[in-house]
Amino acid sequence: MKQTRRIFIKHTAAAAGAMGFPLIGGAQPAPIKIGVLHPVTGALAFPGQQCREGTMLAIEEINARGGIKSMGGAKIQPVLGDAQSQPQVGAAEVEKMNEQGVTAIVGAYASAICLAHTQAAAKYNIPCIIDQGVAEQIVQRGLKNVFRFGPGYEKVVRAGINYLHIMNTVAGRPIRSAVLVHEESLFGTGTAQQIARDLPAMGYEVLETIKHANPTRDFNNIALRIKSRNPDVVIPSSYLNEYVLLLKTLKQQGVAPKAIYSIFGGGGSNPKVIKENPGDVDLVLDCNHWYNPKNPKSREVRARAEKKGLFFTHEVLMAYTVTMMLGDALERAKSSRREAVLDALQASTWSDHIMPYGPTKFVNGQNEGAQPLVTQYLKGDVKVVLPNNFAEAEAVFPARKG
Amino acid sequence: MTPSAVRSLLFIVAFLAAMALLPAFIRSEFWLTFLILALYTASLGQAWNVLGGFGGQYSFGHAMFFGVGAYAAAVLQVRFGINPWVTLGAAFVLGGATGAMVGALTFRYGLKGSYFALVTLAFAEVFRVLANTFEFTGAGVGMMIKLAPGAANFQFVAKTGFYFTILSIVAAGLMVAWWLKHSRFGAWLTAVRENEDAARALGVDVFRVKLGAITLSGAMMATGGVFYVQMFQYIDPPLAFGAGISVEALLVAIVGGMGSIFGPLIGAFTLALVNHTTTELIGRAPALSMALYGLLLIVMVTFLPNGLIGGLASLARRLGLRQRSGGDE
Repeated sequence: MKQTRRIFIKHTAAAAGAMGFPLIGGAQPAPIKIGVLHPVTGALAFPGQQCREGTMLAIEEINARGGIKSMGGAKIQPVLGDAQSQPQVGAAEVEKMNEQGVTAIVGAYASAICLAHTQAAAKYNIPCIIDQGVAEQIVQRGLKNVFRFGPGYEKVVRAGINYLHIMNTVAGRPIRSAVLVHEESLFGTGTAQQIARDLPAMGYEVLETIKHANPTRDFNNIALRIKSRNPDVVIPSSYLNEYVLLLKTLKQQGVAPKAIYSIFGGGGSNPKVIKENPGDVDLVLDCNHWYNPKNPKSREVRARAEKKGLFFTHEVLMAYTVTMMLGDALERAKSSRREAVLDALQASTWSDHIMPYGPTKFVNGQNEGAQPLVTQYLKGDVKVVLPNNFAEAEAVFPARKG
Repeated sequence: MTPSAVRSLLFIVAFLAAMALLPAFIRSEFWLTFLILALYTASLGQAWNVLGGFGGQYSFGHAMFFGVGAYAAAVLQVRFGINPWVTLGAAFVLGGATGAMVGALTFRYGLKGSYFALVTLAFAEVFRVLANTFEFTGAGVGMMIKLAPGAANFQFVAKTGFYFTILSIVAAGLMVAWWLKHSRFGAWLTAVRENEDAARALGVDVFRVKLGAITLSGAMMATGGVFYVQMFQYIDPPLAFGAGISVEALLVAIVGGMGSIFGPLIGAFTLALVNHTTTELIGRAPALSMALYGLLLIVMVTFLPNGLIGGLASLARRLGLRQRSGGDE
């Protein structure tokens, strides 16, 4: 057939129409932009990247399930931000995200960054879902846009001390004295201060509180000081590298307290740590964010993360879970408007999660049901040992006779 | 006033007028924040420039002055309920006093070059340890300013409030640099930088000149600390006295051009733009963006030993736009 101009135009129009039809007939809803803000460079790069991976894991899951169904299957589009481990950069990233039209922001791991970024976001009414920042001030400033799913550090420290007391009482009170070792910033100092205040009230003697800098590359002196005080339990509150190094040094120096029990221990419930240092950290106890092992979905999520080559640390876990909570809020909000999402978060009673919290209930931005679990390194993995309704193994306590 | 001084003063006034008008044309809060942060870094760089650039005394520990200012603002507000605007003045005085103390201790004993740099680094570390220890500075937990939005509390609701505040601080810094460039004290300071022994032989009181420079530099740096606390409302020892602040201050001055009026400003804006661009280009691979940022810094420092302002002056000479080397005005 001869290709005339009229035939060419007709065919082109038909082809264009056919190609355009699905776009018009079954138009995809606009994606919902979510800010993913973490310190992925700088001093906090590793935990920050873990948080980002956790958030991405949840976004992939929500999108693979067909997006936000109440909005016609709208997909979530992450808008990545790097706080560069500095609060001011975190706040600047919020401005960028606001202009890109994000509906909410998930982040930002460190308390100092959370304080800065939530305040910057408050101006635009952007809902901020806190994944890790544990400082109480984050939810105590009256900002209506802040929602923390996990527990703050006061609650965790209180629970941690209670759990230690319960284990000790059940075991016939083998533990009577403690040495606290902590890193020198907000997390370590705040935790150690509260432990040092609360522990004596329960009948324990705090022999010494030892502070160390970040980073510390030699714990020999600290190990020897601990050895000289001969405590029943060592309670470290340090970040990952220092935590592991302290435990290795204690072993090298032959310091063997009856138990090593941390609260928010940087390396106390980390599958990577037990895999790489089995002999050094075995039987260490930690009170921290952890998933409900009795929920079958927990294993599924962990397996999916590990299939991606991730270590399923609590950073991945918390970032994943809070993003799933945001997905639930979006589903109920039926809108990507910030006000609607804020209302949905405020009214959230989400229970389809893998944490041991029960349905969410936000009071002044804090999820009231949030609680930590006690885990122990057992048989090459992290096992929940307390409280009993979530325990998957019995605690080995005391770990040694001392 | 010499024609050169008038020319550079007019240039400063024109620049500040342009910057003052800028917010009227910026609709983006992100770019406004970008400008605020670049100006804030420039103010730190200018403070370092007074001592390091004009005086040739390279400090690696300017964070101590920044931290003193930041903690002065935080402690006076939180512990004593003093209005933050008043703390600005107090921080200025305390920063200057810290500078005078450190200067008296170091210059009295003739410390210079790398020895002076190391001692300032050590002083900053001592301040960090002290802030980490004492309860009244919040120790390791740090200090948080109460959220109370309002211009009276130095917590502006609109970003433009912070913009004009930091622009005023930068303006004061530019005027100090201009004064150093064209005053007798500035000439003494430059003489000390070029050859301390020769300056002494010519009758310059080297100790007093250096002491004056570090006092002024410390006071300016402390002002930056107050601004930081008011904008981000939280400070802890690593944020206040960490090496990051010291490096930031000296880097913008070195990249822009030490001992020049506009060097720190040019350096701050260039580095902020480079950082922004590398992050935007390869933000999904954050380590790569930092590597690219580092590479660009190495290239700049290697090929522009007199900073960007020196490079621009040399380019202007090559193009025949300038007949002689006459500083940066």
